[in-house]
Amino acid sequence: MDVRQRAVGWSLWLAAILGVAITVSAGIGPVSIHPLAVLQVLLNAVAVPTGIELTGSSAGGVLQLPAPSIQWQSPFAYPVDATHRTIVMRVRLPRILLAAGVGFALAAAGTVMQGFFRNPMADPSIIGVSSGAAAGAVAFLVVPIAIPFGLGLQGAAFAGALLSAFAVYAIATEGGRTPVATLLLAGVAIQAFLGAVIAFLQLKSGDGLRQVVHWLMGHLGNAGWDDVTVTLLVVPLLFGILLAYARDLNVLLLGEEAAHGLGVEVERTKRILLAVSAVLTAAAVAVSGVIGFVGLIVPHMVRLVAGPDHRVLLPAAALAGASFLVVTDTIARAGATEIPVGIVTAALGAPFFLYLLRSREVHEL
Amino acid sequence: MSDPTLVVEDLSVDLAGSEIISEVSLTAGAGDLVGLVGPNGAGKTTLLRAMQGSIEPTGGRVRVDGHAVGDLSARETGRLVATVPQETRLSFSFSVEDAVAMGRNPHIGRFGTADADDRRAVREALEHTDLTALADRPVTKLSGGERQRVLLGRAFAQETPLLLLDEPTANLDINHAINTLDLVRSVVDEGRAAVAAIHDLNLAARYCDQLVLLAEGSVLEAGAPEAVLTSGTLEAAFDARTVVATDPTTDSPRVTALSEEEWAEGERAEEERADER
Repeated sequence: MDVRQRAVGWSLWLAAILGVAITVSAGIGPVSIHPLAVLQVLLNAVAVPTGIELTGSSAGGVLQLPAPSIQWQSPFAYPVDATHRTIVMRVRLPRILLAAGVGFALAAAGTVMQGFFRNPMADPSIIGVSSGAAAGAVAFLVVPIAIPFGLGLQGAAFAGALLSAFAVYAIATEGGRTPVATLLLAGVAIQAFLGAVIAFLQLKSGDGLRQVVHWLMGHLGNAGWDDVTVTLLVVPLLFGILLAYARDLNVLLLGEEAAHGLGVEVERTKRILLAVSAVLTAAAVAVSGVIGFVGLIVPHMVRLVAGPDHRVLLPAAALAGASFLVVTDTIARAGATEIPVGIVTAALGAPFFLYLLRSREVHEL
Repeated sequence: MSDPTLVVEDLSVDLAGSEIISEVSLTAGAGDLVGLVGPNGAGKTTLLRAMQGSIEPTGGRVRVDGHAVGDLSARETGRLVATVPQETRLSFSFSVEDAVAMGRNPHIGRFGTADADDRRAVREALEHTDLTALADRPVTKLSGGERQRVLLGRAFAQETPLLLLDEPTANLDINHAINTLDLVRSVVDEGRAAVAAIHDLNLAARYCDQLVLLAEGSVLEAGAPEAVLTSGTLEAAFDARTVVATDPTTDSPRVTALSEEEWAEGERAEEERADER
C-alpha cells in the first residue's frame, strides 16, 4: 500500500481512539458523567464561522484595510446539565487536552530521538532536556531568588531544558560536526551532573521538598486553559517540522555517510531535528514535569505494529502517545487520592511493552 | 567529444593530519567499469569517499558530468553519484521495496512523495536485481547475497551517471560475487560509469575495462588489466611474489600469489633448466 495511505489510515484510527479516550476520560471523576452527555457538552462547544462581517472601510486610504470580524455559532444546542458543562469544560477538559498535548509531544520527540541515535534506549530526555527542565524547576522552587522577566515555574523549567540541551550540543560539536556518539555521551554526562544538582537542591529544599518531589514525578493537575492553549499551538507547529523530515530520518537510519550519498544534508538535518525535538520536549516537560516512559515506550509499541517508516510511525506514535497519556492520567486522578501520572505511565507502560515484546517476534529496533 | 563522466584530477586527501591519497588522477567514461585495486590501506575506500563528496579533499578536484562535486549540495550529488557501501547497515525491518525506494530520496522534494517516475525507477531496480519476488520481505530477513542485491538495487534506483562500489563482492561466495559483478557490468553497459574497489585481482581483471593500482595513496599503474597486473607492479604494490598468466577460460589475466618457498623453488627450477641448456 502507498505510504501516504498507510500514514493517513493509521492516523485516522489513532485519532478516533484519542477522541474516544478524551470523551470517556472527561466523564470519569468524583462526579461521574455519561460519555454521551460529555459528547453533547463537547459538541455544544463546537463553533463554526457563520459569516464574516467587514467593518471599517477602504475608502479612507489604500493602507486602511477593512477589519474582518468572524461570527461564530455552534450548530449544536443539546440540552445539557449546567454543572456537567462546568465540570467538563472548566475542570476536566483542560487537563485532558494538556495530557494529550504532552503525550503527543513526548512520543513524537522520542520517535525522532530513537531514529536519530539509531538506539532503542534513546528517549526525549537523552540530550539533557528533562534534567535541565527539572533542574530549572527545582531551582525555582528551592532557591529564593527572583526570576527575571516574570518567568514562573514553567518558564524556569523551559529555560533550563533549552539551556542544557544547548550545552550538550555545544560540547559535542567540533568543527561543525556533531557525532551522534559524542552527543549521546555528552547527554549522559550532563544528565548525571544535573542529577547531582537536583539531589543537592532537594537536600536544601526543606519545606519545599514535597512540592519538588511532586514536580519531579510528573503531574498534570491544576491545568488551565492558558497552559493548554500554548501547548496546543506550539506542539502541532513543531510536529509539522519533524514530519517534513520523516523521509530524511528514514535515510539517516542507514548511517550518516550513506544518508549523505542519498541526498541528505546530514549535519543540517541533525541540527534541525535536535533543536525541534528539544523545544518540543521542553514545551511538554515545562508544563508537566518529568513524565517518563511515554517517549521511550510508546514509539516502540507503535513501531512493533506500524513498522519503522517514519512517515507512518511519527504521526502514529504521536497520536498513540496522546491517547496513552490521557488514559494514564485518568487513572492517576481517578483514585481517592491522586497519584503522579509518571508513576502510572511506568507501572502500566512497562508491563504492556514487555507483553508486546514477547508476543511479537521482534528483537530489534 | 564530451568529457568523461568522471574526472578526478590531482586529488589529495588528508585524514587526521596524514596524507591518505596523494595526487590521484583517473577518469571513467560512460560504459566504463574502472577497478580500484591495491593492498589493504592503499586508500581505495578513502578515494571512493572523496569521489562521493563525503570527505573534503585537500587538493585537486572531482568532476562528475562536468560538475565539481565539492560545490554541490548533498541532493545534487545524490543525483549524480550512487554509492554501494562496503558495510551493509540495513537493520530496521524496512521492506526490500522501501529500502530500494530510498535511492529515490535525492529526486524527491521535502514535501513531495514518489511520483510515477520514481515508482518506475524502483520497479526497474527491483526487476534488475531480481528482487521483485522479495519486495515485501523485511530486509532483516534476507541472506547476505540478497542484502547485497538490495544495496545494488538502491544504487540503481538512484539512476545516476556514476556508480561507486566499495568491495561489492567482499563478503560473498563465488557464485554471488559473479552475479553481483554481472549485474554491475550490465548497468554499466547501459551507459553509466562505475568505479569499484575490488579486492580479488582475478575478478577485477575479468570484469573491469581498466584497472587503477593504488599503493600508499598514489596511482602506481593504470590502464588495461593486462598492462596493470604484471609481476613487477604487483611486487611493488603488494610486496608479494606473483605469477601472472592468462586464464584459458575467461581470457583475462590470472594472478597467483606465491609464498617465499614456492617462489624460491620456482627460481631453482628455472636455474636448473638454464644449466641443462
